[in-house]
Amino acid sequence: MSLDKVLKYTSASKTNPYAFDDDENFLKRDVTDNISHFDFKFAPVLKPAEFAKSHIDVKSQKDSLIKLAHGTTTLAFKFKNGVIVATDSRATSGNVIASQTVKKVIEINPYLLGTMAGGAADCSYWERELGRRCRLHELANKERISVAAASKLLTNMVYSYKGMGLSMGTMISGWDKKGPGLYYVDSEGQRIKGNLFSVGSGSTFAYGVLDTSYRYDMETDEAIELGRRAIYHATHRDAMSGGYVRLYHIKKEGWEFIGLEDVEDLYYKYNNQE
Amino acid sequence: MLQHKDGSVQNHQHGWEPYVDNGGTSLAIAGEDFCVIASDTRQSEGYSINTRFDPKIHKITDKIMLATTGYSADAKRLTEVIKMQTERYFYKHEKNMESHAAAQMLSVILYQKRFFPYYVFPILAGIDNEGKGCVYSYDPVGNMERVTFQVYGSASGMIQPFLDSQVGFKNQQNVDKTRLLTKEEAISIAVDSFTAATERDIYTGDYLEIYIVDANGIHREQKPLKFD
Amino acid sequence: MDIQLGLAGKDFVILLADNQITNSILTIKHDEDKIYKLSEHVVMSVSGEPGDSSNFSEYILGNTVLYNIRNQHELSVDSCAKFTRKELANALRSRSPYQVNYLIGGYNTISQKPALYRIDYLASIAKVEFAAHGYASYFCYSIFDRMKKPDLTQDEALDILAACVNELTRRLVINHSSYTLKLVDSNGVRVINGEELLKRTSAK
Repeated sequence: MSLDKVLKYTSASKTNPYAFDDDENFLKRDVTDNISHFDFKFAPVLKPAEFAKSHIDVKSQKDSLIKLAHGTTTLAFKFKNGVIVATDSRATSGNVIASQTVKKVIEINPYLLGTMAGGAADCSYWERELGRRCRLHELANKERISVAAASKLLTNMVYSYKGMGLSMGTMISGWDKKGPGLYYVDSEGQRIKGNLFSVGSGSTFAYGVLDTSYRYDMETDEAIELGRRAIYHATHRDAMSGGYVRLYHIKKEGWEFIGLEDVEDLYYKYNNQE
Repeated sequence: MLQHKDGSVQNHQHGWEPYVDNGGTSLAIAGEDFCVIASDTRQSEGYSINTRFDPKIHKITDKIMLATTGYSADAKRLTEVIKMQTERYFYKHEKNMESHAAAQMLSVILYQKRFFPYYVFPILAGIDNEGKGCVYSYDPVGNMERVTFQVYGSASGMIQPFLDSQVGFKNQQNVDKTRLLTKEEAISIAVDSFTAATERDIYTGDYLEIYIVDANGIHREQKPLKFD
Repeated sequence: MDIQLGLAGKDFVILLADNQITNSILTIKHDEDKIYKLSEHVVMSVSGEPGDSSNFSEYILGNTVLYNIRNQHELSVDSCAKFTRKELANALRSRSPYQVNYLIGGYNTISQKPALYRIDYLASIAKVEFAAHGYASYFCYSIFDRMKKPDLTQDEALDILAACVNELTRRLVINHSSYTLKLVDSNGVRVINGEELLKRTSAK
């Protein structure tokens, strides 16, 4: 990006992806560069965004025909040896369990992870697109993108579709020059830096367990067990969460997959222990 | 917006309902080196049966089939798009698209219509690049997952628990849960699923189409279900 | 339920904002700084729609900083406020307005006077001596009216804000555990420890 481009005064008015007088500019509207992505199709009605919102049920709140799969308890926290990322694996659509084996940790690249809560397709599509842009950043700048910049790319992408019914609550975590990084990013356009987050319908239950035992100076084993416990207890109390606990540990060398455990096995493990 | 050649714009009015559920059921089961894809052929709208023979399974390449349920018109359009893209790929690269590539492409094609979705629940099934049976299942906007079996459609609530038990060996002790079915087992489970569902689901019936994809290619079988 | 207060004194302005970010019933962050420093003598506190508040504020921040670099001269409080209002007004008349409320305070180094502006999401602007946004305004305006006096000293201003925080703790259903305070005078921006203010509250 040239200095001139950086210093250019731009208007604050949001360009509307679904404005009908603006179709030509839609591809050019792209956030960071001129590499255009897909031209999304809209319903031929006066208010396409309203159409999308009224016909698609992303959170089991409406009885629309189109019910999307959505994910539910996810957490991530920083501690002295890196970041722990943990999720459940249930996807519900309406009141049926669509899948018990969803992979809610998205491996953006070997040192960046994203989590999935909200619309499953929204998370996987935009985090895949984020992976592509992170790779382009690497090629253009000959160095890895920071967690801060990666999360900002994602926020900017989804913010341009604000009010159109996207549903995404994700935690972008990784390791860069500054050490471990963790950001909460959602489809409202929020981007928050922090040490501990939990997202999804089971997040309040996970927070309960996390907040009572969390310390920054935990040992790795202790941190992994805390993540496992928090997800386990969330699956126990939240009907929309369940399946398997998926655990990752992010270290200086990148992320490491810790394991996948059936919550049913954990139930008997924890109950025989007591 | 419907833009006419003279530049005038026509809009649909508020309350426009472009979706309908045409019923029907599709399933796919992956085996070690084969894949079974089955679907009934009834197409209905409300309490009326539009036709007794409207196949919902389509051949994409020599190794990949697409089974659909939901809104028939959207399903047909989606199939057209997938076929067009795989064909373009074939002429451009002089080889068939592998299943993992077709699977990801289907996800993106569905997501392109995130704000005006295809009301379709697709199952992409066939043989992967290692010769193993594969099944990919999707939601209407492209959330994708590779699974060993999947059923979608009006009788999915009846068949999925049956498959969970007989194919996934769920909630059973002293069984090898990673065991994959033989071809004969898979076919017989698929047939049983549909005969049972036809008894209790008004939207499933008429004919059963079964495709078996393996190293020898695609083999099709058709069986009558009940016509009431 | 964001809390945003502002007070202009004899030769200074103080802004106060809570540190919470909430998502329906959940507090997702306890230590967020919602007061942006636009330049050496201008600060701006924000509340409103989640994504809009940070995105629009970063846009205002970026462009004021850009002005300062280009012109080797600081944009005054008054200009900052009017620029923000104009951008907000333009967006208001587009298809997607920004739902954000601002308090912009600072010290004008040329006229050597403090200034406090209250801007809401409908892009109305008012130059005031004290201001509040949201639920806090229902509790704090009367306190401001009761305790205000000409040529307020910094100590007196902090007493007023302490009285406000005290009342909010006592009567507002949502409790905020911590606050950010930023004071601007001819010397620039100074962060006042929120804990100090809370001590002042309990002492009274």
